[in-house]
Amino acid sequence: MRRLEIILSRFVWFIPTLFGLLLVVFLIANVVPTDPARIIAGENATEAQLAILRAQLGLDEPIYVQFFIYVRDLLSGDMGRSLYTQREISDDLLRRLPATMELTLVSITLAILIGVPFGVISAIRANTWVDQTLRVISVSGLAVASFWFAIELQLFFSTRLGWMPLNGRIAGFGPERITGFLLIDSVITGDWASLRSAMWHLILPTLTLALPAAATLLRFTRAGVLEVINSNYVLYETAMGFPRALVVWKYVLRNALISTVTQIGLIFGTLFAGAVVVEAVFDWPGLGTYAVQSILQSDTKAILGFSILVGVVFIGINLLVDIVHTFIDPRMVK
Amino acid sequence: MKSRLLALSVALALGVSSGAVAQSRYVHANNSSYDTLDPHTVFDVARVASRLNFYDGLYRWVDNPPELIPWLATGHEVSEDGLTWTFTLRDDVPFHDGRMMTAEDVVYSVERMLAIARGSAALFLPVLDPGNTVAVDEHTVAFTLKEPSALFGSFVADLLVLNSELVKENEVDGDWGQAFLTENVAGSGSFTLTRYDPALGFIGTRFADHFAGWGENYLDEIEFRTVLETNTRIQGLMRGDYHGLDGYLAPDQVQRLRASDAVQIFEEESMRVFYFAVHNGREPMDDLNFRKVLAHAFDYDGYINGIMQGTVARNPTINPNNLWGVPDVEPYTYDLDKAREYLELVEGPIRTLRIGTLAGFSETEQAAALLQNGLAQLGINVEIESAPWPVVSSNMQDPDTMYDMVPLWKSTYYADPNNWVGELYGSRYAPTRNASAYHNPESNELLEEALVETDQARRAELYEEATRIIYEDAAGIWIYNTKWFGPYSSRLQGVRFSPVGNGQDMRWAYFED
Amino acid sequence: MKAIRILLTDRAATFGSGIILFLVAVAILAPWIAPHPGDVNTFHLMNRLQPPSAENLFGTDRMGSDIFSRILFGARITITIAVIAVGVAVIIGVPIGLLAGYYGGFLGGFLMRTSDVFLAVPQIVLAIAIAQTLGPSLENVILALSLTYWPFWARLVYAETRALKNQTFVEAAIALGASDFRVIVLHILPNTASAIIVRTSIGMGATILTAAALGFLGLGAPPPTPEWGRMISESREYLPEAWWYATAPGIAIFLVVMGFNLLGDGLRDILDPKTRRRGGK
Repeated sequence: MRRLEIILSRFVWFIPTLFGLLLVVFLIANVVPTDPARIIAGENATEAQLAILRAQLGLDEPIYVQFFIYVRDLLSGDMGRSLYTQREISDDLLRRLPATMELTLVSITLAILIGVPFGVISAIRANTWVDQTLRVISVSGLAVASFWFAIELQLFFSTRLGWMPLNGRIAGFGPERITGFLLIDSVITGDWASLRSAMWHLILPTLTLALPAAATLLRFTRAGVLEVINSNYVLYETAMGFPRALVVWKYVLRNALISTVTQIGLIFGTLFAGAVVVEAVFDWPGLGTYAVQSILQSDTKAILGFSILVGVVFIGINLLVDIVHTFIDPRMVK
Repeated sequence: MKSRLLALSVALALGVSSGAVAQSRYVHANNSSYDTLDPHTVFDVARVASRLNFYDGLYRWVDNPPELIPWLATGHEVSEDGLTWTFTLRDDVPFHDGRMMTAEDVVYSVERMLAIARGSAALFLPVLDPGNTVAVDEHTVAFTLKEPSALFGSFVADLLVLNSELVKENEVDGDWGQAFLTENVAGSGSFTLTRYDPALGFIGTRFADHFAGWGENYLDEIEFRTVLETNTRIQGLMRGDYHGLDGYLAPDQVQRLRASDAVQIFEEESMRVFYFAVHNGREPMDDLNFRKVLAHAFDYDGYINGIMQGTVARNPTINPNNLWGVPDVEPYTYDLDKAREYLELVEGPIRTLRIGTLAGFSETEQAAALLQNGLAQLGINVEIESAPWPVVSSNMQDPDTMYDMVPLWKSTYYADPNNWVGELYGSRYAPTRNASAYHNPESNELLEEALVETDQARRAELYEEATRIIYEDAAGIWIYNTKWFGPYSSRLQGVRFSPVGNGQDMRWAYFED
Repeated sequence: MKAIRILLTDRAATFGSGIILFLVAVAILAPWIAPHPGDVNTFHLMNRLQPPSAENLFGTDRMGSDIFSRILFGARITITIAVIAVGVAVIIGVPIGLLAGYYGGFLGGFLMRTSDVFLAVPQIVLAIAIAQTLGPSLENVILALSLTYWPFWARLVYAETRALKNQTFVEAAIALGASDFRVIVLHILPNTASAIIVRTSIGMGATILTAAALGFLGLGAPPPTPEWGRMISESREYLPEAWWYATAPGIAIFLVVMGFNLLGDGLRDILDPKTRRRGGK
């Protein structure tokens, strides 16, 4: 019952939080009144043209009316039209979402594959040179500016060695769009060349994104494993003569991973944020480049749409983490 | 190497799947994204490729210096009073779906462009009202202008004609087919749309039935991709991933590309003047002496030979040197002593000046920093404010929010002096295009006269005189005229550069075997 | 004093504080130790993009300025941004956390939900939006970072305050008739201090990274300000030939952030025994 209560209370807060977010972003976006009509008209604008455009866009309404209209349209799934791309914003966002999702999902997988095993090794070999080395690497991983790291990777692996593609998701246009996830679409269509190309293009961006995430996971896993190793029951099992490897995998890891799982949820969020910058470096056609572009173009409605989408994804992930948490951590439900 | 093979194999796979043999595909890396294919909503140079290759205008700009050749129209006549322009259309123009073009298509296209009021409508709205275009017969169309215009003939290259029946079928709630045309093409242009993804770009296939016919050599397919990062575009071209880039590269990049065997660089004198727009309506720049201080405080030589490494030519006035209507004047020089002399004639302490630069366009930032440096030596403080182009541009259109100075380029929208001196310093274009708030009755009268005068020699005189007055007024700081460095794969032949289309009209180009 | 002595026994923390002290020293002394102090805004256009040499330790940039000197001056900007932005975030966040934690109820709920709103989007996204709307400048970057970072401190202090409120010594103080203000300032705040200090040290690192990212995206101080993130973004046009251009500022950012992170880790061990790196010693 308690679990349901927790989950429900989280759901109840979902809507007001989202509304608050909407309000905050709407206000931010309208603090300085840049004139969208002028932006559309560009450098060749004439006054007559501006008048027509202002009327078209409904810019003569007071700001609170604009907000009201915006929320009303949003409820029917209409985020408006982008000033710059002149396309439906919801359409733009949905088209780009899979690119970002693919990038972050592969990155988080990579981060788990690196961070968790090395975290365990680091804990088991605590205070040896292995541990020290891994800790230096993980501290460094958190201190690197991702955009700089990305550029250096490009310089070395793409430019100097010529091993990796420089940018983009795929050579050419890729397979027919079904899910928007290139890895999945190329498998469905049996287009193996595209699959290889897509995987090849994923390497550098995911490496950049996964580095800080792997470092965080390594630190948490190490701390978690150490705590369990030093707890009484593990000492007991070891004293009973169970093989060390069995103890580690069977008892230690399962308990230690509770905090790691929570961490993975949070990391997914930071990866989403990191994607904004990394996508900009690698010309990744995802939400991040879209956000940076619309911000640079002062495309208010597109920025709003992006923030809302990311907000929903973010709040959704946190909700999910909370729910998962109630299942794996019995203390919470007590 | 590996990824080049990969790219090749992907290209082959796609080529085979579209059912043809040995297709030649030209891949172009562009610096902005093709968010919409609608030819009437955008009018920027960066996204010109979709307009040029999918659509046709009544006339077409080719070559350098730009020449206007008959295209969908075979010619035109102007009435005695200069108000009615009658164009005779070709009768052999098929749209991509096979339907033949008629005068009705032209009328629909004009009305649509004026109604949605975006893009190239900026050229037409001042001279043409909706409802004043009529189809005289199936292949004749007549425009009745609001006032006589010497320029209308050069605007019609930007009157891109849509397949009106196809668009009408796809109209939703009277949107003039805007939703449809964002992602689809309804034109008669040299290429038909094969694939489009706003995040990536587009692929076009040669339209074999194009009315202008094809030579012996041509490209089968064109792919225009968005690659936002300059460095990536250059690397990609050198690796052979791309076959062409947008021109106007920084000199350091040109040098780098020159070193590569895979790349050839077409060098053309262009018409794109780099200058500082100076707010003439605000103190202290409303004082001629202070404007002379500015004109003498910029290190032209350092900029052109240091930063631009001598790849551009000094341009003493706002009109590009290689155009007609340019007066013969001595360029202002970097001379701080002279600047000091003028500064003594300016009353009172000088406030801190504000320069707005275009974020991401390092030439503007470097120019601003250089001017800041020159003025600092005269004891004048300058603050630099960097903002994205749309923000700078919209600030410039209002005299209250206009910066004190903005370094920027004026590109060719139509090859006529009015594109430069007229729009930037003529009173009728204030405040939106004449952002300098420059109003001089003497030069303005000449510019106005040139707008209606039809005698070419007389027009040249008028523009020369007006430009000289504005030069003597030091209404701006004019720096250089750009060279266009078109970087292409060494295998590509036949590229036809025109300052208006930026060398992206691909119907003339082909790969050497 | 004791804390400092313990801090010095932790190798990582010592190293971290060493880097930070060095950075502060460099920032203060920049005009004297920089070989070309004028190069922040004077140029040598005939000496552009030169590789590292005895004259220009880290090479020269697109304006022919000495990158080494510019990095030194950049330290000032980095410190200013981090200190003010984090300072303001603490000043906004801590009182909100205290009030919400102490009073709870509707006020507490409202304040915490407000902070949730700010936490609902990645910080960099909000910061980009704010910095962009207000126009790119140093002040606006600081403002954007403060406005997006305060909820972290609010949440932290809120949680600590909730826990402390039920402690006997706080209850005793309330029973003795101490005013709310007195209880909050004299009894609760000092006990949340260590958590705030640890969070602040790590927050500095994160703030420097975000500020650099904003500079990289062109939203920071305008040129020719020697801001590290901006220097990296400038360098992209000249890569790979001018490899030194991006290298130096990238390493500078790395070292500083590392310094704050190591210090934060060390401080956590000392001030917050609960989360001490188990088995670390």
